Amino acid sequence: MSEKILVVEDDRQISNFICFTLKAEGLDYVVAGGAEEALERISSDSPDIIILDLGLPDYDGKEVIRKVREWSEMPIIVVSARDREEEKVAALDLGADDYLTKPFSATELMARVRVARRHLRAVCKPQTYAVLSVRGLKIDLEKGIVHLDGNEIHTTHMEYQLLSYMFRNIGKVLTTKAIIREIWGPGYGTDTQALRALMACLRRKIEKNPGKPEYIITEIGVGYRLLSE
Amino acid sequence: MGREWNTPRVVRNILIAVLVFFVATVIGYAFDAVKFPDTNIVIVYLVAVLIIVWITKSFILGLIVSVAGTFAFNYFFAAPRFTLEVNDSNYYITFISMILTALATSLLTTRARNEAQRAHEAEAETKAIYMLTNQLIDAEDMDEIVGISLNSICEGLHCDAGLLCFDENGMPEDTYVLKIFGIDNHVIRRETEEAAKIKYQIEHITGTYNNSGEFCDYPLYGGDRVLGIIRLKKEDTIKLSNLQRSLLHSMVDSIAIAMDRLLTAKQRMESLNEAARERYRANLIRSISHDIRTPLTGIIGTSAMLEDALKDDVYKRELAASITADAEWLHGLVENILNMTRLQDGTMKLKKEKVPVEEVIGGAIGHVFANNPTADIDVEIPDELIMIPMDPKLIEQVLVNLLGNAIKHSDEGSPILIKVYKEPENVVFHVIDSGEGVIEENLPHIFQSFYSVEKPEIKVDRGVGLGLSICETIINAHGGTITASNRTDRSGAIFTFKLPLEDQNE
Repeated sequence: MSEKILVVEDDRQISNFICFTLKAEGLDYVVAGGAEEALERISSDSPDIIILDLGLPDYDGKEVIRKVREWSEMPIIVVSARDREEEKVAALDLGADDYLTKPFSATELMARVRVARRHLRAVCKPQTYAVLSVRGLKIDLEKGIVHLDGNEIHTTHMEYQLLSYMFRNIGKVLTTKAIIREIWGPGYGTDTQALRALMACLRRKIEKNPGKPEYIITEIGVGYRLLSE
Repeated sequence: MGREWNTPRVVRNILIAVLVFFVATVIGYAFDAVKFPDTNIVIVYLVAVLIIVWITKSFILGLIVSVAGTFAFNYFFAAPRFTLEVNDSNYYITFISMILTALATSLLTTRARNEAQRAHEAEAETKAIYMLTNQLIDAEDMDEIVGISLNSICEGLHCDAGLLCFDENGMPEDTYVLKIFGIDNHVIRRETEEAAKIKYQIEHITGTYNNSGEFCDYPLYGGDRVLGIIRLKKEDTIKLSNLQRSLLHSMVDSIAIAMDRLLTAKQRMESLNEAARERYRANLIRSISHDIRTPLTGIIGTSAMLEDALKDDVYKRELAASITADAEWLHGLVENILNMTRLQDGTMKLKKEKVPVEEVIGGAIGHVFANNPTADIDVEIPDELIMIPMDPKLIEQVLVNLLGNAIKHSDEGSPILIKVYKEPENVVFHVIDSGEGVIEENLPHIFQSFYSVEKPEIKVDRGVGLGLSICETIINAHGGTITASNRTDRSGAIFTFKLPLEDQNE
């Protein structure tokens, strides 16, 4: 199965670069130069994944995310030249799955696209198995047990909650706001201190060297990501 | 009363007194002829005294005419007439009453006259000050203030006046403005002589003015410095009445306030302009940097792909690789310039939060690995969770710069170590490489910005200059320190920065 990818980008060179990369990987794609055109393309070409530039000539790219999320869960990868973290966080909180900051390499782009494709398949085939694993780290969602390299590791309830949320969204950037809402519930606010401390405790249990994490990496100013590969 | 002896006025007053007494005596004779009682004649003399005092405004003359009137009545009307003798002793009582009444009358009259005079002068002073202040409010520049001030002083005090402005450093200006009394709307600009002496005298002033030379200098104070002096001739100031003196002081105060207001407004305007220019400059740099990023994405992406596509042709692949490397270097420069401008123009406030040490290190290593997958970076941090108040994005940038620098100056794949430990009040970060190290004489200047104002000639050594200087800017903004040294066990550099454990601003 080959997915169709919609590339929404007004800059010709970057759009060419993205398309060239996708073509080299043998992926199918369509291009839109603005928000209006993107929405038209979504209804006419029914793409599976969207690569979306936030700075579009007609509307803010965030509008596209909002509209798409009204009816679809399709993966959206945001591309932005803006270095303002709030912008990325806002896009992610609106429902974007991932982001790329300009300039990015073909490798980075393809890594994101791979994660998106995996998610797409997971959405198509609802998860039936309760055990998820990545490179020696295994979580049994049914029994509530975590294994590292075959050894069971003891986690607190909160740490388990955090790890299972990360596993259920493996490869995706999760904003601190989203994680806090998931674990502490809405209304807890945006106090990131507690999350940071919790993450530090979890890392000390699963990472060999918390300063050089292999599983959960920090996207400074945005959130955390459980690496899928 | 301070009024000096004035012969013509005394003669005039005596003539007036004589004339009025003559008329009073004539009226007295007329009353006598129609057999009016003596009391009416006494009243006529009293009226005469009152008129004389009113006209001459002289209390001393009032005393004299009070007595003279009594003698005149005695001489002309009390029997026996034309002598100073009296038959009826009752007249003595009349005389005494007459003198006392006349004295009281002249005393009250002169006092009333004087008060009217004083009120009039006070009104004139108020009006003059009001006019001056009013005009000064509308003044738009220093020249106008000087012109208005000199005019008011000249007109108000009837003398010549000069005004010498001092510059921002408290030095008298090269020229001063002079107005000669009696020449309308005309001011003269003259060269200042003995500026240093004037400055010295004004700085060591004891009273409200300095009168050590042939001039009196009244200083104009604004804030904590002297804005200028008003200079009058000493001979002119001696002639001034008390009222004129107080008028002069009020004027000096008003002028000083006006000058201070003008200068403050000017300074505020200048600092606003300066801030606007600075903002404009930073915005320009920022938007250029932003615009550079977009094409850079295309260049880096395309050249990397070209590199991949040319796997088999070593020569062409090397060419493509050097495009990628240069574009990536340019990208790093743009990122650093962006951070630098944001820190320098103050738009980037530190967004401090307590962040675990490992998060910021992990983030930085992630960035470095994206561009240098072969780098060998090891991390040594204490097991204990250390949270430091910092702007994580900026500290991450510092680590990215230091790691990038370490990779650049050591052989590919040679080990780099990030070592962190805690001191009582600081957390110490070391970035240790095994490269060629830093030349000893460069160590003190290594953090200097390549575009620092003092040393514009320092060239960018491929990102080193700017990269390290932004590290220093960021660390300093956090209240920390950054230093560079060389390893003693082998070749290699050690970059060390310390961040305070507690936020000093809280």
